Amino acid sequence: MNKQSLPYTVVFSFIVCFAFVFLLSLTHQATREQVQLNQQLRLQRSVLSALAIDYQDDQEVLRLFDDIETVERDGMTLYRIDRDDEVLYARIFAGSGVWGTINGVVGVDQDISRTVALEIIDHNETPGLGGRVDEPEFKRQFLDKPLDDGKIDVVREGDTEGVDGRIDAITGATGTSKAIETILNREFERLRDALRGEV
Amino acid sequence: MSDSAKQPGQILKQNMWTANPIFMQILGICSALAVTNLLSNTMIMTLGVVFVTGMSNLTVAIIKNLIPRKVRMVVQTLIIAFYVIIVDIVLRAYLPEISRNLGPYVGLIITNCIIMGRAEAFAQSNPPLLSLWDGITSGMGYMGVLLSIALVRELLGFGALFGFQVLPEGFEPWIIMVMPPSAFFLIGVITWGGKYLMHRQGEPVLEGE
Repeated sequence: MNKQSLPYTVVFSFIVCFAFVFLLSLTHQATREQVQLNQQLRLQRSVLSALAIDYQDDQEVLRLFDDIETVERDGMTLYRIDRDDEVLYARIFAGSGVWGTINGVVGVDQDISRTVALEIIDHNETPGLGGRVDEPEFKRQFLDKPLDDGKIDVVREGDTEGVDGRIDAITGATGTSKAIETILNREFERLRDALRGEV
Repeated sequence: MSDSAKQPGQILKQNMWTANPIFMQILGICSALAVTNLLSNTMIMTLGVVFVTGMSNLTVAIIKNLIPRKVRMVVQTLIIAFYVIIVDIVLRAYLPEISRNLGPYVGLIITNCIIMGRAEAFAQSNPPLLSLWDGITSGMGYMGVLLSIALVRELLGFGALFGFQVLPEGFEPWIIMVMPPSAFFLIGVITWGGKYLMHRQGEPVLEGE
């Protein structure tokens, strides 16, 4: 058979494409559930962190997430939990950082008077500088932090511990720190509008 | 290219050292800049490349006599893409954290010139098992250089190795090491050092064009 002829080339290309694509589909099908579970777990872990709920492993994440109610307000998806006689909300946000979008989750109390916690899902900030938004030292500042007039203020110097709304900026990353301030203050504003009827 | 060597030992030496894809052939540089700031990411990425070069070489060598000349390159690309997507799917399902860190670079293994280069230069004209070995050793040559770069970058950029802090608390990380340009300097240094050693040993050095 002439392997350089047009019919052979067409048939060969077709068979090769079909075989490889078929095998790929099988692999994709076989792992699809696992991939979806990973994505779901990732979101749930972030939401739990933003509500300051500790977890050990994936099983616990799934179990703890059962207590969280997903609600729609003004077209925003919020995660709600009742804890210690108060209602807490978590909201997934996205906003522009210095190099790209910063995605995260912020937890607040019902009247947006304090943040419960902050979790960063992903970002493209400079590693070692703005990238430190994702480090515990920075995020810890948002644990039960009272807001000042419904806002946070990221400052480069001065006391931040015990001062309402004040967050210590990341050294050498003013742009990222300011971006976090802008994004979060905008989110607080929107949350306040959305939850107004419920207080 | 001196592909006349048909002994497994010679192939190993060529691919790992005298014709190393990175510092002798200057192939696969983009990923060497992009994914070398953490050892664990580099490790997974380069293992992926070893797997893809090995398997695509093997597959090309097995079906080489069936491939019409006109669609030779297209079929090679298809085979390479197939293995790369397999790697991507497996990482996504079982190592989601690393998959996210590597981002688009796993998919970009397809464009790594080393793989296409080996398929075309070696697998097209050699038996399957030898081609598999050639692919694996080429991937290892790439791996060796990338891991050395990542070692320096993670150590100086984060003070850590494989995520474990090894340098003392007071160490001031070098921010430049975390950014891609540092890999550029390191590749330069490795190329220089490698060529210098080869000249001293009197190896026939591959002259670049």
